[in-house]
Amino acid sequence: MNESLRSRLNRVQSAALVVGVAGLALCVLGAFVSGRQQFFASYLFGYLFWLNLSLGCFGIAMLQHLTGGRWGFVIRRFLEAGFMIIPLMALLFVPLLFGLQDLYAWARPTEVAVDPVLQNRANYLNPTGFIIRAVVVFAIWSSMAWCLRKWSLQQDQTTDPAPTRRLRTLSGPGMVIYPLTATFAYIDWAMSLEPDWYSTMFPVIIVIGQFLSTIAFSIVMLGLLRKEAPFAEVVSTTHFHHLGNLLLTFVMFWTYISFGQFLIIWSGNLPQEIVWYVHRIADGWKWIVVLLALFHFFVPFFLLLFRANKQRVPVLMTIAGFVFFVRILDVFWMVAPSFHPTGIRIHWLDVAAPLGVGGIWIAAFIYHLKRRDLLPRHDPRLQPVIAHAR
Amino acid sequence: MKAANPLYGLMAEFANERALLEATRRTYAGGYRRLDAYSPFPVEGLAQALGRRRTAVPLIVLIGGLTGGLGGYFLQYYAMAVDYKFNIGGRPLHSWPSFIPITFELTVLCASLSAVIGMLALNRLPEPYHPVFNVPEFARASVDRFFLCIESTDPVFELPETRRFLESLNPIRVMEVSS
Repeated sequence: MNESLRSRLNRVQSAALVVGVAGLALCVLGAFVSGRQQFFASYLFGYLFWLNLSLGCFGIAMLQHLTGGRWGFVIRRFLEAGFMIIPLMALLFVPLLFGLQDLYAWARPTEVAVDPVLQNRANYLNPTGFIIRAVVVFAIWSSMAWCLRKWSLQQDQTTDPAPTRRLRTLSGPGMVIYPLTATFAYIDWAMSLEPDWYSTMFPVIIVIGQFLSTIAFSIVMLGLLRKEAPFAEVVSTTHFHHLGNLLLTFVMFWTYISFGQFLIIWSGNLPQEIVWYVHRIADGWKWIVVLLALFHFFVPFFLLLFRANKQRVPVLMTIAGFVFFVRILDVFWMVAPSFHPTGIRIHWLDVAAPLGVGGIWIAAFIYHLKRRDLLPRHDPRLQPVIAHAR
Repeated sequence: MKAANPLYGLMAEFANERALLEATRRTYAGGYRRLDAYSPFPVEGLAQALGRRRTAVPLIVLIGGLTGGLGGYFLQYYAMAVDYKFNIGGRPLHSWPSFIPITFELTVLCASLSAVIGMLALNRLPEPYHPVFNVPEFARASVDRFFLCIESTDPVFELPETRRFLESLNPIRVMEVSS
């Protein structure tokens, strides 16, 4: 990494840190001014959005170790910097533990006393279980992330294929462990926001959303750095074309399963299932649904059908950046209506919280990015890629 | 005059795909347009070297997909909300969410069928007779040899010059293809 790029990254990092600290300070202020529940609801939304990005990096990195593919080598270091933030995200999770009663009906004894469903679930869904499961999933994610990064960096120092083999050996089971642990985590953190609601499709929507956020983020990062060494000599239109195809794939997949869940619940129309959507289309919330249908599916879908849009880097970056922001809206729509089930309410904390967590996330991302070469040069499978680019 | 010529074209044989690609580029640069290349496996860049820039297949697929989607939706709308009104669970007659799976499936079905049929039609397949098979050596086109054929209908085609041109590309041999 050359000095001019390093100094620019340093500037972005400081700016992100300032935004992060200011945002979190505003959140703390908001907790006193606007009440505990609004604070925890907004913080949960902001936190989950950025955690999604880290977990998406984790999943895509393992996917790429298994499948290979030219698109993956050029974004590998972004993915690694993204999943190395998981331990920090575990730390940022701690404040939520103080707000369980504000966030979840199952943590409020008065509500459990009158709800037979929650009474039957109490053996699983209780504060102790919540904390134990959170500790376990963060321990699994962090230790796997640590191994993935360590072996990937070992590739840089040796021609021995052992680290490459180890990466693949971990990624195979990892691709099973990651969605499974994410399922348990998001049942606790997000699905239980609606106390009686459940959907077996929900964790899939979460995981695919994480993949989509990550691909969009990686396209923007690669686009921003494409003219810098070492990317300038390796990155070609083909990489962006492939990443654009992946973006299209996950846009379609997200729509497919999101609509699938809706169709099944809508067809059944059972009170404890439909409540999720009743809260999420109430009054002004339905406009968020319209925005999601338009900008989370139709617009990116049709734009990404055209090859020229995927091969022109500024165009693809704009589409990807746009999808990234619409992802924020999707996570907001997932969390916030549970706290305002009668109509839309956007509090200033809903802006401060994602900015606060996001600032810290970006600063940590750049910290990890700066530590190493931006390309996994010694991955045995990268050599033909470099040769091909020349 | 050309119709009376029993010659379909001239064919050059090459040992590997790099030689074929290079020869194709030079032939195209030499002004020849009615030419085709044959190889046992897909060669990256060969279609571009032959001057094939755009294909109409994407447009055919788009039209097929839109037809399937709109047709599928209309079929259900007409059946459920106009022709045979039937109350299902007290829902509105025009319950669009339940129409989406069929609409989606018909979009995919019609789009993929138009892709296959459109590709075959644009390639003028199936074609039971093709003159290139009159050359015995051509059998190796599906094994280990690479061929470039300039058709005699090409405006620049002149028998002695074109033969000399093909020989200047260092082929294994140049053969006449009778039609």
